[in-house]
Amino acid sequence: MDSSARRMAIEFRLSLGLLALLALAPLAIDNPYWLGVLIVSMYFALLAAGWNLLAGYTGQFSMAPACFAMIGAYTTGLLAYHWKIAPALGIPASILAAGAIGAILGLIVLRLRGPYLALTTLSFAEIMRLVIGNSYGFTRGDLGLNVPGLLESRLAYYYVFVAVLAAAQGGLYLLLRSRAGLFLQAIRDDEIAAASRGVDVVLWKTVAFTLSTAVSGLAGALYAHFSQLVSPELGLISQTGLVICMVVIGGIGSLVGPLAGALLVYVSSEMLREAGGIQLIVFALLVILIARFFREGLWGLARRALGKAAA
Amino acid sequence: MNTPSRQWRLAVAAAAAGLSIAAPAADPIKIGISIAQSPPGSVVQGTQVKDGLEIIKDRVNKAGGVLGRNIELVYEDNQGVPEKGRAATEKLITRDKVVAVTGGHQSSVCLAEIEVAKRYNVPYVNTNCWSDDVRKKEYPQVFNPGNYNSRVGLAMAETIAAMGVKRVIAFVENTDYGIGQAKAVAEALKQKAPNVEYKYETLDRAGKDFTPAVLPLRANPPDMILTMLLPPAAYIVMNQLYEQGVAPSAKTWLYDGAGIADYPDFWQNVKEAGKYMLEFGLYHPQMKTPKLGLEVAKTYQQRTKNEPNRLIFQAADSLLLIVDAIKQAKSTDPNAMIKALETMKFEGVRGEFRFSKEPGYKFHQWVDIPYVNYQLTEINQPVSKSLLVQAPGIPLAVGKLQKPAK
Amino acid sequence: MLNLDLFINGLIIGLFYALMAVGLTLIFGILKVVNFAHGEFYMVGAYTYTLAALKLGFDPWLALPLALAAGAAAGWLTERTLMRPLYAGYSSWGLMRDEYAVVVTFALSLLLINLVDKVVGPYPQRGPGLVDIPRMALGPIMLSGQKLVATGISLATIAGLALFLRYSFWGRQIRAVAQNRLGASLAGIDTTRASSLVFALSGALAALAGALLAPIINASPDVGAFPAIKSYVIVVLGGMGSMPGSIAASLALGVLESFGAVYISYDYRDTFGLVILMLVLIFRPQGLFGERGREV
Repeated sequence: MDSSARRMAIEFRLSLGLLALLALAPLAIDNPYWLGVLIVSMYFALLAAGWNLLAGYTGQFSMAPACFAMIGAYTTGLLAYHWKIAPALGIPASILAAGAIGAILGLIVLRLRGPYLALTTLSFAEIMRLVIGNSYGFTRGDLGLNVPGLLESRLAYYYVFVAVLAAAQGGLYLLLRSRAGLFLQAIRDDEIAAASRGVDVVLWKTVAFTLSTAVSGLAGALYAHFSQLVSPELGLISQTGLVICMVVIGGIGSLVGPLAGALLVYVSSEMLREAGGIQLIVFALLVILIARFFREGLWGLARRALGKAAA
Repeated sequence: MNTPSRQWRLAVAAAAAGLSIAAPAADPIKIGISIAQSPPGSVVQGTQVKDGLEIIKDRVNKAGGVLGRNIELVYEDNQGVPEKGRAATEKLITRDKVVAVTGGHQSSVCLAEIEVAKRYNVPYVNTNCWSDDVRKKEYPQVFNPGNYNSRVGLAMAETIAAMGVKRVIAFVENTDYGIGQAKAVAEALKQKAPNVEYKYETLDRAGKDFTPAVLPLRANPPDMILTMLLPPAAYIVMNQLYEQGVAPSAKTWLYDGAGIADYPDFWQNVKEAGKYMLEFGLYHPQMKTPKLGLEVAKTYQQRTKNEPNRLIFQAADSLLLIVDAIKQAKSTDPNAMIKALETMKFEGVRGEFRFSKEPGYKFHQWVDIPYVNYQLTEINQPVSKSLLVQAPGIPLAVGKLQKPAK
Repeated sequence: MLNLDLFINGLIIGLFYALMAVGLTLIFGILKVVNFAHGEFYMVGAYTYTLAALKLGFDPWLALPLALAAGAAAGWLTERTLMRPLYAGYSSWGLMRDEYAVVVTFALSLLLINLVDKVVGPYPQRGPGLVDIPRMALGPIMLSGQKLVATGISLATIAGLALFLRYSFWGRQIRAVAQNRLGASLAGIDTTRASSLVFALSGALAALAGALLAPIINASPDVGAFPAIKSYVIVVLGGMGSMPGSIAASLALGVLESFGAVYISYDYRDTFGLVILMLVLIFRPQGLFGERGREV
């Protein structure tokens, strides 16, 4: 196993460790409020993982992860609200809808790079949010859409999220370990070189988009049934900003960075909130410092320390 | 493997666990308040609700509290957003263990919050959400001492009918309150003035420029424009209607249905645009107010140097209802409190009433809430000096209304 | 006459958009990156003006240049601390320079918004206007005194900027760097200085727009988000880096939105620009006036 494959294996085992911690946490925490906080941070962890696949591993800086969570949430929400369709069907529908729209978006932005890609996906996200927000006759817009619950107890929701998150991490690991993973990273590092070496750039970019948005859609659908209220707030650019913060702080382009980043950022943001609402200031500063001086994030710092300890 | 990130995670989990274990038996009775203290919510409303609640809280605690315990108000900022209102109410109930939730003043937020109140079976006193839908759901936990859209609809339709206008256009905010009130007026007009041509246009409450909506009216001005918006959008719309010379003008009346003329920042934001505006209101100093109400008004004026308005009184009544319910039930058990609220005769700062049990929009509502209609006739005019054209005991007299020269 | 009203109002709004967008165009021309914190320079200007006039008692006409200075300082500082790595070569992001710019300016935007929210408070602040005339007739149209003055100042500023870029020493240097950074430095131009100047200029222009519009669109922490999105649309529509292109695109967008709001859909008027942006990016990425990308 070469060093990057070994590194990925270590990262995967670390994420399993974090997931095990999450699975055991309810033994120590029985306050429903904090369980809720952890559930929402798992929602963000899913978004972060999906976005990391697209941006960290494939180099496509989309500004639309929150938008696809919103699409997923509204798909299942509207199906339930208007046609009384059960979540068992609604959630798969959300995954399909988000993935399909994501694939289309991926094809649209195929030839775009850098700021152009960011601007196009940003515009797309804003258009979606405005359209959903203004069609209040159908979606109830900013008034919010009530969505039926999926399960009885909060603990049940908790473990559903843990299971889905574990599956997502596992799936990502398998994908990235395979040849497909090599192709994606080749595209990120140098698209022209990759194409000249025979990598089907069109196919793999589209795959990356589809998988990333499908995961976001799934996260959104689960969140919809958990909070039982869906609003266009989910798709705000600032929500995307939060996801980007989480991934960059945790360590972009690593398997464990997004997971650790999401949990750390969201949980401490809830704790900092008590201290007077400075959480976003702290995180924005952290992101700037990390991006400016050390792009590999906290996980990268941890690895350095580990490397020094091992040496 | 003990990498720093993992240790960090352990520490966070332990801290979170520690927080949940440390919950000693609370001595004061906690009451949850969910209000808007930042945009896009109406911060002005939230602040006034808070002011009213604080006055009653201080009175009650000074008199020895309830059941020998002080009351403590736990505040959450819902930012006027339904999703945040839901989260705020959940937090208040599950983390702070409040015995009741109140303070709601924006309809879309209330609608999200009452779902949480119902799920956890916690009494919810709706301070100022006017949407009929809040009542129509008929949740036993929800009680409404404030105004409701159908009432405004009827009142405004009566005034419109009496004034004999033919074409009416309404600008409403894209919320349950705005759209609900627009529809309530439409319904009432069908009964009271079926010949009136009426249509409404929804505006984004977070919008900053409404000129595109106002400009088409210059060419073809209606007889009357209704506004059902909260600040800051309300102020921007009024200013732009005035800037374009559309309303108030010799041709077009301006009639506000959101009761904003008594907000403390009204005049500094609209200046000339507010002169000649008709106002549907829920409070006027010339109304007959019970002694308790007058005392609360005086305290408010001392504390803030502003004239009191309906939000203060509604907030005061909300808290008094909860306090009285606890006294009557002799406990903070939710079911006992709900039973008390349903059956008791309440004497508050605005009058005395019982909650109705009729289905639909009258459920758990103070049906005969008093209201007024008045007109502002000078810039910077306090409500006490405005022209009162209708009040409980004073029949509607539209002949007195004034119009600008051009 | 409704159409005349819509046209003129569209032009006025377009002029304000132009003030915002030219700064962003300049930055893109020089650095080939989009500054996602541009809206916050607008916000800085709006707050500096409003707070100076309201809390410090400045005369509005003095608060205006103060806002300009604040914007310039913010722009210069941003370039100095965050943007240098893009061309000075010492960034750990290596090849992903565009992504670095996206992440870092995005985070800066988040930081500024929340900092202001915490320090000043989230409630919108309304400052005094430059002139105290709530409404006046100008031929067939009606507008407020503030709008008229703001329009005049914007017009003068944009004209001044155009002259500066075309004829002044530094203006020509900036244009040279925008055309070809490497070539310009070989020709002896201080490209770093040029970049600093452009960022400061961009910040100042955005801040001016914020200050001029503050009495109309009150200052609040997120007041910059809305003009920022418009600017992104315009910069791409006009051809990233083309000054006349972005001015033309600004006016066109203003007029389009004005008519579209009345004749097509009021609710969706903000989406017109975004939809056109997406279409342009897909079919004509160089914008309406720009040149096909030149990559070294």
